Amino acid sequence: MDKGLLAYLLIPLFTAVLIPFIARNRPRLADIFANVTLLAGLVNLLWLALRPSVIAGGFADIPGDALSLLLVAAVYLVGLCVTFFSAYFMEEGLPNRQAYYSLILTSIAAMTGVVTTGDFFTLYVFIEVLAVTSFALITTDDSAGGIEGAIKYFFLTFPASALIMVGIAIFMISLGSLSFDSLRVYMSSDMPDGPVVFASALIMLGFLIKSGVVPFHAWTPDAYQGSYAPVSAHLAGIVTKISGVYAVVKLATLLRFFDGRAQALSELVMFLGLLSIAVGAIAALRQTSFKRMLAFSSISQVGYIVLAAGLGTPLAIMGAVFHLINHATFKTTLFLNSASLEKAAGTTDMDKLGGMEHAMPWTSWTSVIALLSTAGVPPLSGFWSKLLIILALWESGLKTYAVLALLFSIVTLAYFMIMQRKVFFGRKSPAAERSSEVSAPLLAPAVLMCGVIVALGLLFPYFYQYVKVVAERIIL
Amino acid sequence: MDLPIQMLVTAVAVPVFGAFLIPIAARVSVPVRNAFAVLLGLFTFFAAASLLKLVIGGQTATWTLAFPRGFDLILHADMLSVFMASVSAFVSAIILIYSLDYISHYENQTEYYAMVVLFLGSMMGLVFSANLLWMYVFWEMTGFASWRLVGFFRSDKDVAKANKTILVTVFGALCMLVGIIMVYFDHGTLDLRSLHGSAISMVAAGFILVGILSKSATLPFSTWLPDAGVAPSTVTSLLHAAVLVKIGVYAYARIFGVTFAAPEAFSSAVLYIAGASALVSAGAALIDTDIKRIIAYSTVSQIAFIFLGLASGNKTAFAGALLYILMHSIAKGGLFLCAGIIEQNTHTKDINKMGGLFSSMPVTGAAFALCSLSVMGIPPFGGFFSKFLVFSGAAQNGSLPVLLMFLVGAVMTLLYLVRLFYKIFLGEPAGHSSPKEGSVTMVASVMALALIGLALGALIYYPSAYAELLTNNLGVNLQ
Repeated sequence: MDKGLLAYLLIPLFTAVLIPFIARNRPRLADIFANVTLLAGLVNLLWLALRPSVIAGGFADIPGDALSLLLVAAVYLVGLCVTFFSAYFMEEGLPNRQAYYSLILTSIAAMTGVVTTGDFFTLYVFIEVLAVTSFALITTDDSAGGIEGAIKYFFLTFPASALIMVGIAIFMISLGSLSFDSLRVYMSSDMPDGPVVFASALIMLGFLIKSGVVPFHAWTPDAYQGSYAPVSAHLAGIVTKISGVYAVVKLATLLRFFDGRAQALSELVMFLGLLSIAVGAIAALRQTSFKRMLAFSSISQVGYIVLAAGLGTPLAIMGAVFHLINHATFKTTLFLNSASLEKAAGTTDMDKLGGMEHAMPWTSWTSVIALLSTAGVPPLSGFWSKLLIILALWESGLKTYAVLALLFSIVTLAYFMIMQRKVFFGRKSPAAERSSEVSAPLLAPAVLMCGVIVALGLLFPYFYQYVKVVAERIIL
Repeated sequence: MDLPIQMLVTAVAVPVFGAFLIPIAARVSVPVRNAFAVLLGLFTFFAAASLLKLVIGGQTATWTLAFPRGFDLILHADMLSVFMASVSAFVSAIILIYSLDYISHYENQTEYYAMVVLFLGSMMGLVFSANLLWMYVFWEMTGFASWRLVGFFRSDKDVAKANKTILVTVFGALCMLVGIIMVYFDHGTLDLRSLHGSAISMVAAGFILVGILSKSATLPFSTWLPDAGVAPSTVTSLLHAAVLVKIGVYAYARIFGVTFAAPEAFSSAVLYIAGASALVSAGAALIDTDIKRIIAYSTVSQIAFIFLGLASGNKTAFAGALLYILMHSIAKGGLFLCAGIIEQNTHTKDINKMGGLFSSMPVTGAAFALCSLSVMGIPPFGGFFSKFLVFSGAAQNGSLPVLLMFLVGAVMTLLYLVRLFYKIFLGEPAGHSSPKEGSVTMVASVMALALIGLALGALIYYPSAYAELLTNNLGVNLQ
């Protein structure tokens, strides 16, 4: 456990416990407490990472492995956007307002735990906490879709937890320890590796299921589509990335220390990554629901991260981490905008929308920016992360993978074109006639995230320096 | 920073960032927004043109912004980039002035002005970039701007055509990125200045060529350009004359003309592709009945002539191709703007429903005729000299089949433009009520372009001396 970051775990947890008591009679206090907690945490983190002296020093002063700090910041950023959005989005009378904020804060605490921990058992515990909170959050609005999504989520992620548990047990038996460091030491030694590789494979499989990689992707579209609107942004933006993808990246970097003896496993991970890119993008072409299309797009983008993680070279890890952050920014924007659309136009069915650009200009243009970044159009941030991943693939001699990964960007762009024609630009629909732009506070998170997307794209040299520090610290 | 470097940076930065201020200017008032957009266009032109003196004197200006892994943003003003930037910015500025009236009664005007200026800015970035990766970055930005502009009208058909435009060009751009990555790993750098004179592998050149052909609408990627004619005439004029298709030609000149020594087989393949493109599109222009589609096919065909000059590997032809870029920009810009006046006042794009318009639109008709003569290559128009130089250069070391293809193409150019002019302006009026002439700024814009085309023919000494100097200084592997 990275003790320097422990406060970022404990404070939201404390607030989560506090909220039901404080806000019992005045529900609005729950909004304020949740937002203030997260904002304070985020400001603190930004101060840690973006002080002028730290930037001037090439980020060498960042404590820990730098990755934890970056991901905690991403968790807080997405969490803040979601809570701020929820504060204005939720209907006044929703009975479980306090529970909602408590759950969000608990899940943020759990995610902080996941990314700061140093051993597999703690990782497992926090991931279970995360699963339970997400499960409850999906059903926030008590709709049938929410319950269905939650049940699907349950049935697919709990077997994954079982696999991880078995893998951890085998680790315990053969290594006697569960910390990442001891695993690393063991892997670089010449001791028999059969059980450890098997255990790694089981854990990897579990995390791949949790990250919704093809062929284990069946639960994601239903869970994202069915869940309460801001919750889907929370889930797609950060929760599945931390509970699945982050762990895959972490494990893949450890596998590198096997020095080629777990080659088959790495290759399998890469193959599933490419398959996800392809299947997710092609499936997204055929969707008629805005949220489902975004969910499939999410599967496709996770594919890039998993592909890079499986490769595991320093450059690939840099690309994976960068893409993880980018994915958090653009998916949060898009899911929050889908929630705005739902609120303003009453539907997210793309066949019923159309010509929303005049009714909702801010929502339209923030969505366009986020989607262009998803498709990797320069100079937005998504372009640089994809470029790093493709360069890493090419550098390792995997030219076919590189070219395929690159050319699937055109499919990404194609479903984006379909979506914008049906929703934002294109002929005016009756829905566009009667709806109007949502209020400024609901737009603020999307605008903020778009600012981050543009800034990360234009300030690429600085961010590159940061992820380089990350790659050096976690690989060397 | 020296003045030339400041001019170089502002020529790129002012339109790129200024484009995002146009929506804010629109909040103030409509005239402020329009004036601001035109000023941005004019400023860009003057900034680019102010560099002409520097590069004619044999100097260059460079500005670098460090990026990791050799991805530095390098803006480099040399003879080729300044030439291209001045031509594009000039035509774009004229188009912006013409737009003031033309676009004034449509929706989405703010987006239109923002995108035209962004387009111009990305074009400036593209031509001044001396780093292949940044050429790609600006390349994609132009793709985005063209997507919004082609989709200016919002019917299903328009939006579908806009989507086709961006999907074809982005597909090409991604292929080009593959080629760029190959160059990156072969040579370890993307800086065009240090790549000067090095060899390029056939595969990498092929991938880059796909990107170039898709952007310049050459066979087999030509279909999006006529389809993009659904956009307002100012937009098509911009795409054809000033920016979009010229990007492909410029990239070819920059990458294969003055940087890499392309393999022999590659250049001759390009010649055959261009020849086929010239013939097929000229044939299409002969039979189509939509005024804008005919002119669009004509562009596809004329672009092939530029490729002939660039890929012949001959100094005369290369200089001729550069002149061709200039002449074609002026003349084609004029033709489309004339088409805009005709279309707006007759409310049709079908040439069979026009006829006899010369009496009611004399100035437009005269401008149209002058521009057509320049495109055909009739002396003493500028277009004659460029076409002549390209042919005489290509004849010195080109193959006979290629030359024959282009000769037939040139004759067909004559035919379809005469047919077009006859159908619109001469002959019997066909079911229209003698439409009015366009507004003063619109007619003045087209007449200015037509007269400049004529003047360039009379003063051909100066541009041709420039093109020759450029070819001698920068050309790689030319005879």
